[in-house]
Order: sequence, then structure tokens, then C-alpha cells
Amino acid sequence: MVENKELIRVVEETVSRDDVKYVVGYKRGTYGFQIKPAFAYSAKDAKEFFYSPLCAKNLATYPLLEEKLPLRRGEEAEHKKIGIVVKGCDSRAIIQIIQENGLEREDVVLIGIPCKGVIDPKKIAKRFPKQSKFVDVEENNNDEYILEIGGTSHKIPKDELLSDVCKSCEYPNPPLYDILIGEAEEEFQPEHFNRVDELEEKTIEERWEYWEKHFQNCIRCYACREACPLCYCKTCMADLLEPQWVRRSVNLSENTAWNVMRAFHLAGRCISCGECERACPVNIPLMELNKFVEKEVKEMFDYTAGLDTEEKPFLGSFRPDDPEDFIS
Amino acid sequence: MSTKKNTELEEFEPNIIGFLCNWCSYAGADLAGTSRIQYPPNVKIIKVMCSGRVNPMYIINAFQQGADGVLVSGCHPGDCHYTSGNYLARRRIATMKKLLEFLGIEPDRVRMTWVSAAEGRKYADVVRELTDDIKKLGPMTKFRREKEW
Amino acid sequence: MEQLTLPKEKLPELLGEIGSKFELVGPIEENGFLAFRKINDPKEINLDILLSRVPPKSLIFQQTETLFTYAKGKDSKVQTPKIEETKRVIFGIRSCDARGFDIIDPVFMGKKEGDYTDPFYTKRRNRSILIGLSCNEPDANCFCTSFDDSPANTKHVDILFTDIGDKYYVEVVTEKGEDLIKKVSKIFSKATEKEGNIRKETEKAAIDAISRKMNTEGVVEKLDKMFEHEFWVETARSCIGCGICTYLCPCCHCFDIQDESTLKLGGRVRVWDSCMYEEYTHHASGHNPRPSRMNRVRNRVYHKFNYFPKNDGIFGCTGCGRCIDYCPVNIDIIEVIDKVKEVNV
Repeated sequence: MVENKELIRVVEETVSRDDVKYVVGYKRGTYGFQIKPAFAYSAKDAKEFFYSPLCAKNLATYPLLEEKLPLRRGEEAEHKKIGIVVKGCDSRAIIQIIQENGLEREDVVLIGIPCKGVIDPKKIAKRFPKQSKFVDVEENNNDEYILEIGGTSHKIPKDELLSDVCKSCEYPNPPLYDILIGEAEEEFQPEHFNRVDELEEKTIEERWEYWEKHFQNCIRCYACREACPLCYCKTCMADLLEPQWVRRSVNLSENTAWNVMRAFHLAGRCISCGECERACPVNIPLMELNKFVEKEVKEMFDYTAGLDTEEKPFLGSFRPDDPEDFIS
Repeated sequence: MSTKKNTELEEFEPNIIGFLCNWCSYAGADLAGTSRIQYPPNVKIIKVMCSGRVNPMYIINAFQQGADGVLVSGCHPGDCHYTSGNYLARRRIATMKKLLEFLGIEPDRVRMTWVSAAEGRKYADVVRELTDDIKKLGPMTKFRREKEW
Repeated sequence: MEQLTLPKEKLPELLGEIGSKFELVGPIEENGFLAFRKINDPKEINLDILLSRVPPKSLIFQQTETLFTYAKGKDSKVQTPKIEETKRVIFGIRSCDARGFDIIDPVFMGKKEGDYTDPFYTKRRNRSILIGLSCNEPDANCFCTSFDDSPANTKHVDILFTDIGDKYYVEVVTEKGEDLIKKVSKIFSKATEKEGNIRKETEKAAIDAISRKMNTEGVVEKLDKMFEHEFWVETARSCIGCGICTYLCPCCHCFDIQDESTLKLGGRVRVWDSCMYEEYTHHASGHNPRPSRMNRVRNRVYHKFNYFPKNDGIFGCTGCGRCIDYCPVNIDIIEVIDKVKEVNV
């Protein structure tokens, strides 16, 4: 259980440090079960920080979104740290980015949160539609979520609202942090990501039918890319014109190319935070692709992303004895 | 399967794009030619400097533009002209093949082989086998561009 | 304006008849959300979900539009694709989405005689007959009333259906609508005054059910004074730069034009573009006049609440609430405008 008081105290302390520019965390959103990224520049901003099972958003993208604008004459670049509130998966995203030299370890201060899993915003919005005021959700010790709407208290089994990715999470505790709030969660036995298994049991034709239906709907808003903490290329291959890897026309062919490209570029990098799937406005089950690739990479190459900052990147390294039974 | 369909399949000549590395496989294909070994003409070769140069998106783009199959061929492990390009390619193609299979695209449409400069015979065998396989699978239209351009 | 009623159970019959005479497009549920699709079986139509995920602007201002195709070499030629001109009925469009068309019409169809008109948009707009459906139960983030609109507004559609219990109250607004009604069989009955009152009450109840409100008073003038304000940096700090807010907006109409070609054939396509992308303003020289998220978020707000009112006398927002609903980081346009008003300049 994360005490909000403790969180606020730690954020206040961190943001008061001379070498910290600001701290990113969560605050209550404007309606329903929405949370918002919060930015604290001074101790007084920390008051609105909070943590609850609604805080699904992966904040690890923010240090990478910082624009490095051209400096005026005489100006010097600021070398200050950014504090981030991280759950297990968010911390792994940071590890992965550091591994790829996207960030330096010194660039960030990680405020770790032992995570008990977060609520899927789509599931809870479906369960309690049309909430125009913010509703907070708490978790009790009986694996239930408690929320109050219009004076009535609701108790819902955790399993019904928990994000699918959280059910199969192996690292609820941040593997890398500077300050940990509360005590580390006990390790628990993660479930298999069922949706991948179900798809794998289908025939090849049924699988294509499934993906065709989804890819046809893609509007190529690139929310999956922008929400992903690991999609931080300065220029995405999808935006290149010369050569043009993916055409701008929106149709099944190009949409498939885009989605395959996105999934492939996350091979051995995706840390399963589920941010792409949450962001997708047309409900494409992107985590099924990511989880599948993650599983295969683990099985074939015994590689897991986001655990060790010193590890070599998956697609930039090899072992001479990598499996090659598919090669004739 | 009806007889009509069978004849249709026999008439289908697959369009296969082959990415061959400059140092081994391309020379192997060359040897197959100079040795006058007979093999199907379905593979259209694109020479690349190394199998490690094959971006897995090439495969996707080939399928978009009307390929029915893709061949990626490089030097045998340990023989890469650039020391390790083929090892890197192996990981990439392995992952891409798995991903395609998961999406519902027959993984047999993508073939990776090691063909050295001395293996003209092996190159011919690979092409024959691949062409047969893809003839059986039929045309790949799942995400081919609908536009002619 | 003709006032009619239609028993609810007769709706499939009516749609079937329309479908046999015209191309019929309506909302159906697909993968858990609503989408406007060609209707083959009227039973597919879903009228329970309020808004389609992608607004029906995509039917008229298509996401991908081929402007022309060309061939190189000896047989070189340029061909313009033909656009269907027979009438198409769009059923089940909501007030806010229909109003979106009125907002982007001047962009593509010109404001006065002699202005350039885009043939693709204009032809599709003219061939469309909009049959609106009033919203009886607005969603959490609906705020159309903030723009003097109503969930049952007849202004922007050709025919408006309002659910009044066991019947639909049908208002035939335009000539296009009258023509359509004349062409379908006489399953409508004349509306009574009592039914007219129920319709008014339904509308009032729906208006009352809208809980969110945007106060747009004085926003245009306020924005004039705060272009360089620090506020925009703060507002944009959480923006991740995806295109959801613009792609799902019924008023956003930016596009990119691209040539796509193989060696001998090619085409010029017009595709949706979003001002939230860094690439949107990227010059060929490498310079980007909107280099950071702050510039881009500011531009979106200014376009909708300053440039639009100044140019066209109308806000570039219909209050559908989609950008609030689907923003991954909860940038809430109502809150942004509220805060704009609080800013000290």
C-alpha cells in the first residue's frame, strides 16, 4: 500500500534538491477514472501528487520528450535531473532506455512504487460509464477495489478490473530506484498472458482474419508510438520520406506494415507496461503482439528486456549458438 | 481439393524476392549459373552487401509490393565477410518469422539459408524447394497493396 | 418544417427501403466501438452508443483521398478518380458531428462566390443526406450546449429523428430531406401537438443532463493577449504528441499531400495530418517554426478558439468531447479554456 503522505513527502524532498529540475508523478484527472501526469517544480506543487490503482500511465516517456531547443548565444544547456515516480514496469522502461544510451543514469531520480497492479481504464469506464467527476479507487487487503460513486460504495473483485498485462507481470517491484516508497511487494506467481495463448491455438487463417479486422481500423494516429516509453527515436521510420518505409495512405496494407514495424522494433525491448494498448483509440490489442514477441524472444534467445543496464541490446547482439533450426 | 484448383495452382508462378549477400550467396548463385545447373527462374535477386543489411522491413515491403515469398541468404556462421553480420541477421529473421506466423502469415514464405560461394548446387536446391513450397501456399495477397502503384 | 412520427418497430423497414434506393451509411458496433459503415442489413445499426469513435467527417473528408493517378513513359497519362454522385444517406449522425460539417464547409467549399471549392469534399457533401438522431442521454464529456447547440438541434441535418418513447419524432428540415421522405412509402404519420411537446421535453431533459460546460465568453480576446505566456509550456508538458485529439475531432481538417509511386505508376494522395506532430510544420530546410510541444498544443487551442472565430465567426469546436475522452494523458480542453481565463496577463 502506498501512503500518499509518504509519496508527497518524498516528492517534496526530491524536488527541493538543487540538482533536480522537476518531478513527474500522478494527480487526479478531470473526470471519471482519469489520472493526469503531474509536474512538481517546487515543494508546494507536490501537494497534488497521489497514487492509486488508477495510476496506469507510464511516465518514463517524459524525460525523453524534453525538447532540446537551440540555445541562444551565451545560454548554456541545463544539466539537471528529472524525478519520476515509477512502478515496476516504468522502472524497467528506464533501465531499457539507459541500456540503449537514450538516457544516463544520472539524468533521472527514480521514486519507486511497489505496484500491486493497475486498473484497466477501459474496463472500469465500461463498468461505471458516464462519470463526469473524478472518482478515486482504493484497494483493500482482500483483493478488492473500493470506490464511491454518488454516495454509494462499491466493492469489486480485483480480478475484474485489473489490467491484463498486470496479471502476467513478473516484476511488480521496480528493479531500479533511488527511493522506494513503502515496502516491496511479495513476489507472486504471474499468470500466463492468456490472450496470446488463445490466439496461438487458432489456425493461421483465423489469426489473419483477426488481425485484418483490427488493422483495418487503424487510423495511424501513432498514439501507440507516442505513448510508448521505448519509442523515442528522433525520427521514426514511419515518418521518413526518403526512403519511405510506410506510405502515408491509410489502408490495410500500410497499416499492417506500420503495426508489424512497431511490434518488431520493440522485440527484446518491450517491458509490457501496456501503454500502447491503453492509448489506442480504436482498440487494437497491441499487447498481444508485444507479449508474443516477448515470449518468443525469451524462449528462443533467453533474453528479457529492461532488467540490467549493462546488458547488450537484443537485436544489436548475438550468440554464436543462437537457434537456427529454421535455416536450411 | 478439386482438380480445377489443382491446375490453377500448377499455373501459379510465384514471385520471390531473394536478398543475397555479396560475398557468399550471390557468388553461390553465380556459380549455379556458370555450372549450368537448372533451377526455377522465380527468384528475383537483389544483391546486398551482407545478410545483416537486410532490414526485416524489406520482407514486409516485398510482400506489400506483390512478392509471394522472400529468400534471405548469407554466408555460413563464422564466414561472414563482416565477422558477425549474418549472426545479427539470424536473430532478426527468426523474430520476424515468428511475428509473421503470429499475425497469420505462413512463415514458410520467408526462408533464410546459408549458401557459400562454393555451393552453387545448394543454391539451386534451395530455390527449387522454396519455389515448390510457395507454389503450394499460393499467392500472398493478405496485405498486398491494392493500388497498382 | 414537416413534423412526423414513426413507430420504433418500423425503423428497420424504413431503413431497408432507404437502403434499397440509396447507399445507406450508419453506425454499427465493431471491435467494441461505434463506426460509420455501409449498411446492408438495418438490424446491424447500433443506436445505443452515443458517438462513433472516428467522427463521420471521415465519410466526406476521407482519411485517404486519391487526387489523381499517373503513368510514366510512352503511355503517360493523368487520371482523376471519379466520385460517385448518386445520393447517399447517412443515418444516425449526432448534432455535434453534423455541426462539424458546417464548421469545415467554408474550408473546402469556400465562403463566397469565386472561392476555390475542393471537388472531392464538395461532391461528397452534396451527395450526402444527413439523418440526425437526437441524444437523449448525453455522455460524461458532452458539452455541445456550450456552443449554443443542443443534443436535438435541427439546424445541421436534413432530417432529425428524436426518440420519444415508443416512437421517433421526425422533423424534415431541408428540401433534400423532403425529397427523401417523398421517395419512401407512407409509413410516417403526422405528429400531434402532444407528441411535439414530448419531443421538447425530451430535448430539455437531455440538455439538463449535460453536466460539463465550457465558458467561452471573452476567450478570443484573452487568447490574443497571452500568446507568449508561460502557461502554454505548462499545459503542453504532459502532451505526448499523438494525433488522437485531431484525428477524432469533427472539426479538424488538416491534410498532407503525398506522391506515392512505383517506377512507372504513381498517384497523389491527400491524407489526414495532425498539427500535434513535430513533422507537421517541419520545413524542407530543416527549420521547424513549431519546434516544441508547447507551440503545437498552443496552436491547436488557438486555431479552435481564436483563429476560427476571427476568420469564420464560429468556434472550431462542437463540444463532442472526443478529445477529452480519448486523450491518453487527460489534457481536457474544458479545463484548458477555464485555466486560460484565470491566467494573469
